[in-house]
Amino acid sequence: MIRVAAVGDVHVDADVVGRYRPALDQLGDCADVLLLAGDLTRHGTVAEAKCVATEFGGLPVPVVAVLGNHDYHADQPDEVTTVLEEAGITVLEGAGTVLTFHGIRLGIAGAKGFGGGFAGRCASDFGEPEMKAFIRTTCRVADRLGETLRALECDVLVALTHYAPCPDTLAGEPLEIYPFLGSYLLGQAIDSAPTALAVHGHAHAGSERGTTPGGVRVRNVAHPVIKQAYSVFHLGETLEAQSLTASGSAR
Amino acid sequence: MSATLDEYTEAAVQRLLTEHPHLGEQGITLTRREHCLVLSGEVESPERRDEIARLVTEALPDVEVCCDIGIIRAGMPTEHEELA
Repeated sequence: MIRVAAVGDVHVDADVVGRYRPALDQLGDCADVLLLAGDLTRHGTVAEAKCVATEFGGLPVPVVAVLGNHDYHADQPDEVTTVLEEAGITVLEGAGTVLTFHGIRLGIAGAKGFGGGFAGRCASDFGEPEMKAFIRTTCRVADRLGETLRALECDVLVALTHYAPCPDTLAGEPLEIYPFLGSYLLGQAIDSAPTALAVHGHAHAGSERGTTPGGVRVRNVAHPVIKQAYSVFHLGETLEAQSLTASGSAR
Repeated sequence: MSATLDEYTEAAVQRLLTEHPHLGEQGITLTRREHCLVLSGEVESPERRDEIARLVTEALPDVEVCCDIGIIRAGMPTEHEELA
């Protein structure tokens, strides 16, 4: 059994440093790994990233993160990534990592993701260049996420994104903004592999639990949703067993 | 910014909260009551709550602003979820 802690949308700046630390210092008692589901900063500046490094660096468990849209605002995602990685935080973008706990290999595929909406109510690769660029970005990110998920050699597989892969965990958000909160293409990528759990943030007014069309459990761990320093999930099923029930389609 | 409490004012305040270089807040709900504007939602620190109230009050000097913004709890979880 692997214990996965996760939180997103912590939006750390100097005014937040120290708020999470009492709970984080006890993380080793209840979790094997911490996932950060993007929007780690307010504006994506190096100064804010250093605050994130202070708050989430040096923890008793490995920390794996993706960036969120806020972390791109200052157009310095590479610099933000560097600061986080110097603090020992693994930052994934269309990439994966495998960590071994208690002899079980946990594979984590991570990507920020992007918007576009959900099946039947989504943007298409059609019309103005801006609209085509929008949906092509999502297609590219989702394709890479799917490739990463399918390539990881592990026993338990987790997908980590900032944007949502299904509409279930957006319940509570205005319907009008769903296309800005996630995309079914992310869910399709997650369903293309024997994923045990998909974790995302971004939807502050959404809800905690949902599933992809393929039946993969989805959890929205945005801090305003979970209202605690992090949520903890116990994953015990092996990849082989999970694949017997996976109904996703390969893309 | 117009001091009239209409949909355009609401949109302008939402953009102000999101696009202000020191704020970047997208999770605040504005509710237009008969005699005031209610700000609700949750943020990461008391400083952010106070700054939001200050900016909106400054932008709408003729409007009574009621700030009902909370601070998100950041304590240890008391339970875990089994996903076997």
